[in-house]
Amino acid sequence: MTQNNAPLLRVDHLTKHFPAGGGKVVHAVDDVSFTIRRGATLGLVGESGCGKSSCARTIIRIYEPTSGSIFLDGDDISALSQKQLLPYRRKMQMIFQDPYASLNARMTVQDIVAEPLRAHHICKSRAEEREMVIQMLNRVGLNQDHAGRYAHEFSGGQRQRVGIARALILQPELVICDEPISALDVSIQAQVVNLLRSFQEAQGLTYLFIAHDLSMVRYVSDDVGVMYLGQLVELCRADEIYARPAHPYTRGLLSSVPIPDPVAARLKDTVGLEGDLPSPIAPPSGCRFHTRCPYATPMCSEAAPALREASPGHFVACHQVNG
Amino acid sequence: MQNASRWERVAGSFDEADRLYSKPRSFASDVWFRFRHKPTALVGLIIIALLILFAVVGPYLTPYGYDDQNTKLANIPALMSVYPAPDGQYIYITKALKLIEVDASGRLVRQLKKGKDDSKNKVTVFPYKDDMTVTLDYTAQPVTIQDQNGNRIEKAKTVWNRSYLLGTDHLGRDILSRLMYGTRISLLVAFIAALVNMIIGIFYGGISGYLGGRVDAVMMRIVDIIATIPLTLYVILIKVCLDDGMISIIIALSSVYWVDMARVVRGQVLSLKNQEFVMAARTIGSSTGTILTRHLIPNAMGPILVTVTMLIPSAIFMEAFMSFIGIGIAPPLASLGTMCNDATDALRTNPYQLFLPALVICFIMFAFNFVGDGLRDALDPKLKK
Ligand SMILES: Nc1ncnc2c1ncn2[C@@H]1O[C@H](COP(=O)(O)OP(=O)(O)O)[C@@H](O)[C@H]1O
Ligand code: SF4
Ligand SMILES: [Mg+2]
Repeated sequence: MTQNNAPLLRVDHLTKHFPAGGGKVVHAVDDVSFTIRRGATLGLVGESGCGKSSCARTIIRIYEPTSGSIFLDGDDISALSQKQLLPYRRKMQMIFQDPYASLNARMTVQDIVAEPLRAHHICKSRAEEREMVIQMLNRVGLNQDHAGRYAHEFSGGQRQRVGIARALILQPELVICDEPISALDVSIQAQVVNLLRSFQEAQGLTYLFIAHDLSMVRYVSDDVGVMYLGQLVELCRADEIYARPAHPYTRGLLSSVPIPDPVAARLKDTVGLEGDLPSPIAPPSGCRFHTRCPYATPMCSEAAPALREASPGHFVACHQVNG
Repeated sequence: MQNASRWERVAGSFDEADRLYSKPRSFASDVWFRFRHKPTALVGLIIIALLILFAVVGPYLTPYGYDDQNTKLANIPALMSVYPAPDGQYIYITKALKLIEVDASGRLVRQLKKGKDDSKNKVTVFPYKDDMTVTLDYTAQPVTIQDQNGNRIEKAKTVWNRSYLLGTDHLGRDILSRLMYGTRISLLVAFIAALVNMIIGIFYGGISGYLGGRVDAVMMRIVDIIATIPLTLYVILIKVCLDDGMISIIIALSSVYWVDMARVVRGQVLSLKNQEFVMAARTIGSSTGTILTRHLIPNAMGPILVTVTMLIPSAIFMEAFMSFIGIGIAPPLASLGTMCNDATDALRTNPYQLFLPALVICFIMFAFNFVGDGLRDALDPKLKK
């Protein structure tokens, strides 16, 4: 499905800080860089609170980036005004985590799915708009009977499909999925993931797929990035991260994957994650993971490790991992 | 995606699970369902409907205008204790010792003309019909009357005033008609003021909350400053600067009460704007106008409606209060407040004249507060069963 290898999305030293009052700042995203090839999926993983949503929302420009650049299809969109962004909004869309909060309870499914069409003045008539909406609903497994209903009449899985229909009706190229299945019933998760994958195959979509654990990401991702406290600590191909996880944090994440799995079982000797995520308002000095890392040395709390290519295509930010 | 097949196996088709069984339910029908299962709210709503009917349709059904006066028939109550007249009619003695001829069904016929007045013996003779006379003896309270033969007439019965169903005021105006017009004006003033306040409040609070940051800080400080001084004082000051009349009282009421509304709307918008459906609208590229009018305000409508229904009784009370102290609706126009004001002079002798408009004010206040409470409960998702 990969037509060419030019990255559709390139994120360059992206940083997002929130003011936290009293002159303090929340270091939600700190110096994150990665690329996603056209038609590929990058899985972004990390504990909740580590800045994945902030990263996604900054990329899609709901949040103003503090610094760094975002290249969509070669164009830097990080400094554009909301008005200048409008044509780019057609190229990138987002699927949200909470299927309840992400749909307006006062709107019918028809209006929700038609909103992107209206914002970009795509349809010439109401009839044409209705037709497009029904078509889109059919593709996510809903039909015209659902169109006149309000979102609160649906189950979580159905709502999430409405959210998918809304995101995909503009035929975007990049879709950011911010934990699209973590709020859903386990029995529904597979349906939604399959739906997303079938759209990817049919339209060559590019996904940034965010999840809070590694158990599912492997089935959808080509590459996996692991985030810790606003920083990217490991980035490599999906099979590589399960076969040879290098960063101590990644190993900790893998050991907490609940499903019986030959790969994870082999890593059972590694320690699980202990302690809580430190506050992003005052992140630990040096390597931000040193407060919880079983391999930490004095050097770890002094110097921050850079993200280096430890082996070909496998990037790790840890002093103890040598290439 | 090496393990893709695992997922395929579990996935079924959507069709069966997605079949719709229930009827479509809009948010409004949900709210109405919960609202009408609350008796006080329903009673409040019915009272409001009846009051509106009373105020809008009522005036067409009475023969009197709000300013039709007949001073000869002033201060007559609804229930009259009458004395039988020599010819089978009845006589009612007013508190001002005027004699009114009343027919058997309770209609007022006329005021008897005074004849000879003997102020030394404290008796007055009223010629009745032909050569019949009635003599009023006011030496002692309660007064007594005699016929032309000197026989004392005893009170016969109590009849309902059929000419003025709720009696007349000190100028002989029909109280029922004035109540209808008064309720009409009070409701009209309150509704318009509430509507204006709602619109100003929604815009002010919506913009302040949505823009946030420094704009919000400045706009809310202005609201704080307005709110530190009692609103009553503002209304009185504004009213004093403007001339009499309905428009100026509406302006006075409209220019301060939006403060609460603005705060409510701002709070709502502030919490709503970070919800994912608003973010979704922004990633879609919807304009700020669309986001405000299609997403934020409709979702804030519940608390807005509750605030409006609570605002109406305070506007009514404020209007009544100002009219009562004499800076509201100018006579001869009736409002419930002016009627209360008119009634205070004769409070000792004719308390019903104060009681009736005060009762209507109470009804309005209760009804709107009940409806507001019911609406709040119906809109509160935490009470959802
Ligand atoms: N709008 C915001 N204002 C201030 N702090 C925020 C905001 N959004 C997120 N944060 C903070 O940034 C950090 C990362 O949050 P988030 O990106 O939601 O993490 P994740 O999606 O990985 O759970 C958290 O500490 C959170 O409190
Ligand atoms: S740099 Fe040190 S503290 Fe950080 S992950 Fe590596 S070993 Fe642990
Ligand atoms: Mg998140």
